Amino acid sequence: MRNPFPLIDPVRRRQGPRENQLIGEFIAGQIGRRGFLRRGSALGLGWPLLAAIAGAIDPLGTLPARAATGKAGTTIRVGSPMPAGAIDPVTVGDAGGLLMLQQVGEFLVFDQPNLRLAPMLATAWKPNHDGSVWTFTLRKGVTFHSGGMMTAKDVVATIERLADPRNASNALSVFKGVLSPGNIEKIDDYTVAFHLDAPHGNFPYYLSSDNYNAIILPADYKGDFEKTWDGTGPFQIEKYTSKVGASFIANANWWGGRVLPARTEFSFFAGQQPQVLALEGGDLDVISQIVVQGAEGLLTDRRMSIIRLEAAIHRQVHMRCDIPPFNDQRVRRALALTLDRPAIIQGLFRGLADLGNDSPFAPVYPSANRDVPQRRKNIAEAKALMQAAGSRGFPVTLTTEHLLEMPDYAVLIQNAAREIGIDVRLKVEPPAAYYGSAAFGKSDWLDSPFGMTDYGHRGVPDVLLTAPLTTHGTWNAAHFRNPEYDRLVAEFVAEVALDSQRRIAARIEQLLLTETPIIFAYFYDYLTATRKGVTGVAPTANGELYLQSASAG
Amino acid sequence: MSREVIAAGVVPEEAPQPSRWRLLRRSGGFRAGAAIVGFWALAALFGPMLVPWNPFATDPLHALAPPSAAHWFGTDQLGRDIFSRVIAGSRDILTIAPLATLLGTIVGSALGLAGGTLGGAFDFVLGRIIEVLVSLPLIVVALLALVAFGASPATTIVLIGLVFAPLVARTVRAAVLGEIALDYVAAAELCGESRLAIMFVEILPNVLGPVLVEATVRLGYAVFAVASLSFLGFGPGPPSPDWGLAIAENYGVIAGGYWWTVSFDAAATASLVVGVNLLAEALHQALAS
Amino acid sequence: MQDGPAAWLARRISFGLLTLFLLSVVVFAGGQLLPGDVGRAILGPLADPRAVAALDRQLGADRPAVMQYLDWVLGILHGNLGQSLEFRAPVSPFILGALAHSLRLAAVALVMVVPLSIGAGVLAALRRGTLIDRVISLAGLSLTVIPEFVTSILVILLFGVWLRWLPISATWRAGTGLLGQLDHLILPAIPLVVVLFGYIARMARAGTVEALEADYTRTAILKGLSGAVVIRRHVLRNALLPTITVIAAQTSYLVGGLVVVESLFRYQGIGSLILAAAHARDFPMLEAGVLSVGAMTIAVTLLADALTAFLTPAPVPGEGG
Repeated sequence: MRNPFPLIDPVRRRQGPRENQLIGEFIAGQIGRRGFLRRGSALGLGWPLLAAIAGAIDPLGTLPARAATGKAGTTIRVGSPMPAGAIDPVTVGDAGGLLMLQQVGEFLVFDQPNLRLAPMLATAWKPNHDGSVWTFTLRKGVTFHSGGMMTAKDVVATIERLADPRNASNALSVFKGVLSPGNIEKIDDYTVAFHLDAPHGNFPYYLSSDNYNAIILPADYKGDFEKTWDGTGPFQIEKYTSKVGASFIANANWWGGRVLPARTEFSFFAGQQPQVLALEGGDLDVISQIVVQGAEGLLTDRRMSIIRLEAAIHRQVHMRCDIPPFNDQRVRRALALTLDRPAIIQGLFRGLADLGNDSPFAPVYPSANRDVPQRRKNIAEAKALMQAAGSRGFPVTLTTEHLLEMPDYAVLIQNAAREIGIDVRLKVEPPAAYYGSAAFGKSDWLDSPFGMTDYGHRGVPDVLLTAPLTTHGTWNAAHFRNPEYDRLVAEFVAEVALDSQRRIAARIEQLLLTETPIIFAYFYDYLTATRKGVTGVAPTANGELYLQSASAG
Repeated sequence: MSREVIAAGVVPEEAPQPSRWRLLRRSGGFRAGAAIVGFWALAALFGPMLVPWNPFATDPLHALAPPSAAHWFGTDQLGRDIFSRVIAGSRDILTIAPLATLLGTIVGSALGLAGGTLGGAFDFVLGRIIEVLVSLPLIVVALLALVAFGASPATTIVLIGLVFAPLVARTVRAAVLGEIALDYVAAAELCGESRLAIMFVEILPNVLGPVLVEATVRLGYAVFAVASLSFLGFGPGPPSPDWGLAIAENYGVIAGGYWWTVSFDAAATASLVVGVNLLAEALHQALAS
Repeated sequence: MQDGPAAWLARRISFGLLTLFLLSVVVFAGGQLLPGDVGRAILGPLADPRAVAALDRQLGADRPAVMQYLDWVLGILHGNLGQSLEFRAPVSPFILGALAHSLRLAAVALVMVVPLSIGAGVLAALRRGTLIDRVISLAGLSLTVIPEFVTSILVILLFGVWLRWLPISATWRAGTGLLGQLDHLILPAIPLVVVLFGYIARMARAGTVEALEADYTRTAILKGLSGAVVIRRHVLRNALLPTITVIAAQTSYLVGGLVVVESLFRYQGIGSLILAAAHARDFPMLEAGVLSVGAMTIAVTLLADALTAFLTPAPVPGEGG
């Protein structure tokens, strides 16, 4: 079939599993450029492609700085989601808010679009022998916009604030069971040690841009961020107006060197369509994130370019393992077998998504094991499983949220399930009603026998492996309880080496294919749209947008 | 609008029924309205059996296909046939809107009748409550209530019914006050009839005309309101082919040039409200003449 | 009942205040029915419950609801509309901003619809019984009941997507001049024009017909005044009166009821503000938003009644409604 969107720059072209694994290893820094080129050619990848990948992905890169070739001193106009409330690094939990934080603030560690960590305000980090203590070395010569030097006391205070249950911290759920308040030690002005609750192989991700609340603030931050906007980043606040927009100006004292644009202007939008129209009408240079639905016109517009990042954004379709009708794993597997995943991806995302294999291991994760075979639509097998389980079909209600493509996906599931006699009724609610009190017994999300939940991108699969699937997981809507799984995940989380992680991943993936507590049908790409001629715009799938090298041409 | 209805109400009802009915049938507006509403009523009853495609069958690989011989109105984002969905989509709205109108008319007429006849403190309190309700944007009230109670057809019916009740009450109250001034009520009072008896036996039959007109007018607004609520996401949920829902679902893609995903549903909604309104107007004219 | 203008005004204002008070109680009581809590709404579904509890405590949202309401009433008595829980800032700038937006859109719509519909109504009355009359009456009748989202979609398709004459989004960039803002407001105003056209044209037609049949008009014509002068002096004034009433009766709709148009054109009006506040359980914002629309409606109704009383020869204004 003809590629309907010839204009998209692929960060990673879709290749076979072996090729993707190789690319993954290269991205993850497991093999060097030379090894990559050698093994790639052995696999039969063409030289132009190999060179393109090796050039696009710079394993030594630090910040997402393409060579600053654009014109200096321009103003970059960005369409941004509307921040949901007050901008406060401690409480922010929405895309619009985190985008604002990240314009002025910076993290200890930068989680690059290729999911590999790079230094930001920390220059180095290392674990002790078992991964239970991590020591970070801070960058010297970093100043806050208010003038003070950033030192260890600011870092300690910032992370303490986020880990403290008294502080309404949105990062509390991230640090729970990982880092407790009082366990952060200032060793000297530029060295900080984190004493973890348990060994953790991926801990630096928790202090990286992955944890969007963790921008480093001055130690004496008083909760009045909207007054100060004090950070260390390449841009300083110029003006912020709730519900309208914000503008920032270049920080001449930025530690990272020259900031290319003179100003950036963010306009807040309550939906995608006006942003698309504003971009087409020349009122915007960049839309921080677009979804395929409603942006079909942009994808084929020759005046626009789409920056496409492979990501782990997905939907979890949980089936409760503890009560009928899904308490038999054969029934769960049968349902998963009815989905024509490639058609779903084509229909909902115009192909801009990865296939899911009913585990949180999105293909983008270097730790994912691609040797586990992909689940495909197989009605015969599904019917056989239903028969074996003694089920001739049943009615069941799929509860989900009124959000993006989710109602459409639910309709597709409904039609697919009909093929094996499962009569799916849909209950689509506003997200707030779906999540309810977000506690067992008081939430459609956690209580419904059959539900669909939205999950954003994560830099590492750890949280996705634990919270929704382990026996005591706080988001375990599937009520999945499997000691073998819990053990494997604990092993995975504590593991530091990628090879070993991938080995354990294979066993986790196999186990989840058999049990199928949750259907993961797709992981869709993070898309950013820019006007042609706008260069140096660097988004991440976490929802950040780095503009220090941007130029509006 | 209420003024004219009041005017219609105070016209002495002497003209014999048959001529009025003939008048109604001869009115072009009535015929057109009846034809439109009748068409959609038939579609609601039998549509799903007559349409060329299953309105619910998805085909993601043929999504957003423009109108063609196979798909007269094209296909939507999930590859469903829009013609079949537009025809089948009249069912929800034609169930919810009339029921809501019925509820609003009954409750409203009772309140208006009581307020107008009893007067005094009851009438005063009623008047204040109506004033509070009328000073609120109704759509906002409806949305807040749906957020609070959750959206379902039953909530929508009760909600629209209750929102309409004070409006109906206001019209009926005015009509009742017009009647009370007339001699026959005073005569009945002199004969020692109880207030309640006067209310139901004397006044009610004489305000039925305005009540009927008001009910038809309200039906038009009920269709308006139900469609708007489903557009805002408080109506029938997916995969219903409901028009408001279909427009909301596909609104996002029209900038890409996929006009057929919303145009036919919009036209269907417009035709239904116009049809109902033509009926209401014709009825009003017939009763006023 | 035959009181003077001052007493009438005092009575109306006290009724208005009573209505507002009742309204605040209704909103408060209704607000208790909304699901969820503000801390959860701000932090999101995946936040730790301890953080949610801490935030509710910080915002004072964990106190008994009646306490929160009394606090808020006390604040109002001191001229303080309250503090938004969601934005942790005073609500007044939000309310005023949204109200200004809504009024601007309403104004653009009125400027478009009033001359258009009065002209059409008068024309229809003057050409009573002709094809023009029927077309105007029928069009007005049909357009009025078409939901705004339908008109909006058609307008967006026609002018925004195909012809690309006007911007589809009602949100202009900061620093846009008045004329530029107008550009953004024309499309969203059209659905309102469509809804209001029928109402006003019918009223204007009825008023004109009445005036044309009235004795003073006949006298004027008999006196030999030219048609144009008669229309200007007598007929237009009579056509205008019911129009004022109609517009006043539509205030709550025009100011706060434009949720659909605001959502389609992504306009930050007071209707969207109220809804967003309800979703976030931002009680002070919700109260202030609803009350501002209520107050606006009551004030406009009062004004319209006063104006009608002033323009009408008959001395006693009715109860309004």
